[in-house]
Amino acid sequence: MVRSILSLTVIFLASSCTPTKIIVPLEQGQWQVGLTQGRPQINDGFLPVIGGYAAKGMTETRTNYGGIQFSSLLLGAVQLEGGQVRTWIPQDGFKPGVSLSYGAQAFMSTRDYAFRFYPETGINAYWKKGPHILNTSANTWVDPTWFLADFNRGQIIAPSLSAGYRLRYKWIEAQVEYKMLNPIRELHIPQAYIPSTAGLGGRGVYYGIAINF
Amino acid sequence: MRLFFALFVSALLLPSCADVSAAMFAGGDGTYDFKNEWLDPEYHVDESKIHLMNFSSDEDSIYALYVGDIAQIATDTIILYLHGNASSMDNFWETAGLFANLGGAHHFGFMMYDYRGFGWSTGRSTGAESMAADYDAVVAYLESQGLTSDRLVVVANSLGSLPAGPAAAGGSRIAINKLVMEVPQSTSNVIMQNATGLSLPSSMITSYKFDLGKNMADYTGELLWMHGTADDVAPFETAKAAIRQHNGSYYQEAIYPDMGHGLRWDIGDEEWAGTILDFIRR
Repeated sequence: MVRSILSLTVIFLASSCTPTKIIVPLEQGQWQVGLTQGRPQINDGFLPVIGGYAAKGMTETRTNYGGIQFSSLLLGAVQLEGGQVRTWIPQDGFKPGVSLSYGAQAFMSTRDYAFRFYPETGINAYWKKGPHILNTSANTWVDPTWFLADFNRGQIIAPSLSAGYRLRYKWIEAQVEYKMLNPIRELHIPQAYIPSTAGLGGRGVYYGIAINF
Repeated sequence: MRLFFALFVSALLLPSCADVSAAMFAGGDGTYDFKNEWLDPEYHVDESKIHLMNFSSDEDSIYALYVGDIAQIATDTIILYLHGNASSMDNFWETAGLFANLGGAHHFGFMMYDYRGFGWSTGRSTGAESMAADYDAVVAYLESQGLTSDRLVVVANSLGSLPAGPAAAGGSRIAINKLVMEVPQSTSNVIMQNATGLSLPSSMITSYKFDLGKNMADYTGELLWMHGTADDVAPFETAKAAIRQHNGSYYQEAIYPDMGHGLRWDIGDEEWAGTILDFIRR
């Protein structure tokens, strides 16, 4: 049973969503390397699924990142992501800062080398005070191969909404994030129940731990 | 960027080491306590006609249940039931009792079996190959007892549609000419795409590739499709898209608004059995 739930969870996480890597751009020249633990909910439980990423502050307002989902790899799909986060509007007192993200997710099956590429873009509003960062984010994946879905059931965008907290203190950062996954579509796994937020899509809680240097 | 590139190359070099399909099969223990005391009185059977048997399938042993006279296989219509995703044939004993009384007591012979990893059947079901081998092991026995194509009716429930599809499309040593698809799935890709909302193919997580639409397009015999529109296990719309690719000699569908995956319980035994019996007798 645990094996079954784990696999279902992996299916869900591997493809629906990954946690937001960077909200507030790093300092110029700063690196951040982290592990993320996704916990999308299926049935009554959560199970951990692991990913890793690295990010580097290119300037004071731009940070590049790249990541990999280890759990997808375990099941035979190479899932990589890369992109950039940049400050759009700096924080001004209680007026939140706004950052934009853009990048892409790439999937390749190690069985038949099927390949999918999903550009993504997002916007983050954040409040940073000392080591504390609060954020709300909206993100969407774009599916340029929606027409490859069986029986014309593809969709061009796959959005998510999230809210999170990060503690960025010197060389360490801890992250927690709640996500609404693909709220414009009814997600479905045979013989499994996917809890949602207000009946929309799926939901998950993501944790991350990273070091800065 | 160099780190990202290194990660990508490293990932390509790693072989996949897990497959979701085996984990999604719900096989489990069975007691095989096939007795009348577990059946409603109207579905009681002659207990002398209950035969538990097993066959070799590759390196594994497949357990099957036949209800009826063994000698009947050579002369009468036999219903071969491919059960859904539950732990063992125990869960379908009531269904067996119903079929054993379809059209009268022991009017038809009835056979079902447990896939590898279900009930007492050994090994693990892993995909199309293991499912096809298990199906063939059972049909080989029926063939050896004299069953011919004109007297074979295959009834596939949910998961059972996965081996039934390729068998109907030409993969059965006894050609199927009457097929009932009850609450079938559609394609392996659909399962992946419904779980993610993306156009990902199933090969990202499993080597078990199935396509009932293609199977139905290749199936030339008679087909009855039964489905509820509120099915939350095998979604109605994708099943419809797959099944309606059938282009065989006869097609019938029984669609039940607002009914779910437990179709027989939702619509009642009388409607369920009557629909199947009418199809068999047509």
